[in-house]
Amino acid sequence: MTPLQNLFDPQLLAQAAFAVVVIFTFTGALIAVLPRNILYNVLGLILCLTGVGGIFLFLGSAFIALMELLIYVGAICISIVFAIMLSRPLHLSLPKRHLPKVWGAFGVALLVFGVLVTIISRTPWQPAPVRSSDWSVTTLGAYLLTRYDLVFEVMSIVLLVAILGAILISGTSGRRSS
Amino acid sequence: MNSLTTYLFIAAALFIIGVFGLLQRRSLIGMLIAIELMLNGASVNFMAFNRFLAPDPIIGQVYTLFIMGFAAAETAIALSIIIAVFRRIHSINIEQARDLRG
Amino acid sequence: MNLAWTQDPNLLAAALSAFTPFASFALIMLFTRSHARLSAGISIAAVGISLASAVFLLVRNWSLPAPIQITGRWLISGDIHIPIGFLLDPLSLLMLTIVATISCLVQVYSLAYMAGDPGFSRYYAFQSLFAWAMLTLSISPTMIQLYIFWELVGLASYLLIGFWYEKFSASEAGKKAFVMTRLGDIAFFLGLLLVLLHFGNLNILDMNGPQATERLSPVLLTVSALLIFGGVMGKSAQFPLLTWLPDAMEGPTPVSALLHSATMVAAGVYMFARIFPFFSHSGNAMTVCLSIGTITMLLSSTMAMVTRDIKQVWAYSTISQLGFMVMGLAAGGYAAGVFHLTTHAGFKALLFLCSGVFIHHYETNDMFVIGRHGGRGLLIPMICMTLASAALSGLPPLSGFFSKEAIMGVLAGQRNPIWLAAGLMGAFLTAYYSFRLIFIILRPNLSEKVRAETHGGHGKGHHAAGLYWVMAWPLIILAAVTLVLGFFQGPLEVFLSGSQTVSESHGTGHHAWLPIAAVGLALAGTGLAWLEFGRNGAAQVGFVERLPALRALFANRWYLDHLYRRLLDYVIYGTISNLFTRNDRRVIDGAIDGMCRATIGSGRLLSFVQSGMLQYNLMVMFAALALVALGFYFLG
Repeated sequence: MTPLQNLFDPQLLAQAAFAVVVIFTFTGALIAVLPRNILYNVLGLILCLTGVGGIFLFLGSAFIALMELLIYVGAICISIVFAIMLSRPLHLSLPKRHLPKVWGAFGVALLVFGVLVTIISRTPWQPAPVRSSDWSVTTLGAYLLTRYDLVFEVMSIVLLVAILGAILISGTSGRRSS
Repeated sequence: MNSLTTYLFIAAALFIIGVFGLLQRRSLIGMLIAIELMLNGASVNFMAFNRFLAPDPIIGQVYTLFIMGFAAAETAIALSIIIAVFRRIHSINIEQARDLRG
Repeated sequence: MNLAWTQDPNLLAAALSAFTPFASFALIMLFTRSHARLSAGISIAAVGISLASAVFLLVRNWSLPAPIQITGRWLISGDIHIPIGFLLDPLSLLMLTIVATISCLVQVYSLAYMAGDPGFSRYYAFQSLFAWAMLTLSISPTMIQLYIFWELVGLASYLLIGFWYEKFSASEAGKKAFVMTRLGDIAFFLGLLLVLLHFGNLNILDMNGPQATERLSPVLLTVSALLIFGGVMGKSAQFPLLTWLPDAMEGPTPVSALLHSATMVAAGVYMFARIFPFFSHSGNAMTVCLSIGTITMLLSSTMAMVTRDIKQVWAYSTISQLGFMVMGLAAGGYAAGVFHLTTHAGFKALLFLCSGVFIHHYETNDMFVIGRHGGRGLLIPMICMTLASAALSGLPPLSGFFSKEAIMGVLAGQRNPIWLAAGLMGAFLTAYYSFRLIFIILRPNLSEKVRAETHGGHGKGHHAAGLYWVMAWPLIILAAVTLVLGFFQGPLEVFLSGSQTVSESHGTGHHAWLPIAAVGLALAGTGLAWLEFGRNGAAQVGFVERLPALRALFANRWYLDHLYRRLLDYVIYGTISNLFTRNDRRVIDGAIDGMCRATIGSGRLLSFVQSGMLQYNLMVMFAALALVALGFYFLG
């Protein structure tokens, strides 16, 4: 093989792409938590969630990756942007960081990470003996409407109740406080 | 890329970045953003198990859809609560909301 | 034993004598409080029965070969047996008769003295209580029973001294009497415990027997004797616990006559005589008792020389004569001491009752005022009082002469002449102060009559004749007793020594000059009193009163009360109760307050956890969750 062909080895390309996606994810995550400007945080979240969508792609489910982009990035992050616009926190002064709190949070986060890593690395992960390889969207849809129908219905109801509740909270409390 | 533990570590890292953000951010919206990160970490975890361990690859995807739907609902409610709290204490600094102080 | 008690006349008489006053007390307190006359009748009837039983017992058991002891089971603990019952031997029968007689006479006298008083029934109830306690004390077979009734007698004294309780000084005097005698009783009880522990029982006959020296070492005998003597010091007002008796004159005069001259204060001396053989085993203790008696006698004689209050003179005199009795007993004169107790009961009660007539008539205790208002006009009290004073001074042929001579004789038998000298000095002083009082009333300083007339209230001349004779007959009876009792010395001594194996010292007969010296000193005292108070144009100022410092010393009771006040303030209130108060406030209260403060403080400290900061709570939650997960992973 030629070196150029070596460069475009599918396996290598896949690894590189995976690395890029992971970098996007973590960069976005860090931008989402570290800066104090809230718009930076939202944009970082968008980047991160796009990266997570890429990870889902690597994990075999294109559908879920697209759903991630649709739901999280397209709906949730946009609504957060709207909330930022409506509540206008940019006009308020940015409070100084309270260092002990930061260190406390860092410590706890590190502790949890340590525990998770310990458990992950020590557990002997056993794949199931019989594994199906049906990754099609058709099957997913069929399952959603038959076997996991409850999930589907419950999701609908939860979304309905959530919307109603959101309207109620922001509607009546507005009337009360004015 | 092809081992379970890689994805599990990625998911754990996302999760704890979210925890860090949740515990450290002062603004309520910042905390919401961190919660989204945590949820995504959990989703990646499920999808990783789905890919490498599960007998039926549908289960993980259904679960992840479930998480996404709930995240949406929760974000809606959380944002309306933030607006309500903002109207009351005129700030989205969580350290201002200390009425339960002992 | 159940039926036999009605068949044994001794037991029946003793039981009647002791218990009928108790029945009277219970009846009056429970039922007849509102009927004054009925209460008085019940009480006098009860004490009359007691008197009859006492006389019956005395006559029946005049020549007793051995003491009669009638006891029943009471306290039994291991080897210690303490029975309850009666002991009938010459001393106890004599005391029983004395107490019953004087109680009866005083209760009859009180009919007139306390007439019209709102607490008439209560008075007779307490008189019955006292009679019960004192009578049973006299015939107790064990020291424990004696101690119990000793305390009851103290209670009756407290109730009767503070009888007019609305008067602050009276209630204070009652308290003082009770507390001071209690102090002596602590020592008494400690002595009893010591004896009980080492001797095994507190039976009086056993204690008087030869086993005492076998079971108790000499040191133990001395210590327990001295401790028991503490009780005598308290009850019989010996130095230094003597200041309660003058204050006890706040009570009604019949009470003073009965309790604080003849019977209750004599209980101490009686107790001394009761266990005289026990005491006489320890020479050191007897010497200490002798010195305390001497000091008491001389000290209180001096106090009597300067006082204006008619009852206080006789109070100090009682203290002095009790000291004299203690001297006699402590010097070894058993019969002499007991004889003086008997005669003293007679004439001292007479003195108080006569004074009571004056006080009742003129409504004042001041002898100068009584004199100026014509006190000598009341013939019977005046004559009886003079007679009794003469007996007190030891002038023949009255009873006091014989009993005082007996004690002087015993004192003369001592090696150290200081005791006899003190006794003779005491005789001189006694004659002086008693006749001082007599002459002040008899021959008042009429140049002060102008001042007298500006006083209102000339006295109650409107006595009903009946009431007057109710008061007069006890006086006459006691005066008759005083006249003749002296001649019974011989038979009484035989009676007393009937069943005693005690070694007495007989001093009489060795010194023929002694009676002459004593009578001479008494006459000298009388003469001095006449010189200063009695003759025409006398200044009526005693030789002591001319020295203001000396007068202040005697009038302030040798500053004993001041000493006690200081002791109380500095030692007890200042240190001990201060210590306890501080302990109470700082340690006990402080501990509890400290616990409260600790609780509140720790609550405040911990409440910072509830900061209301959501993120701190979340931090703790996450950390705990991680650790629990780890725990489950490794342990599960």
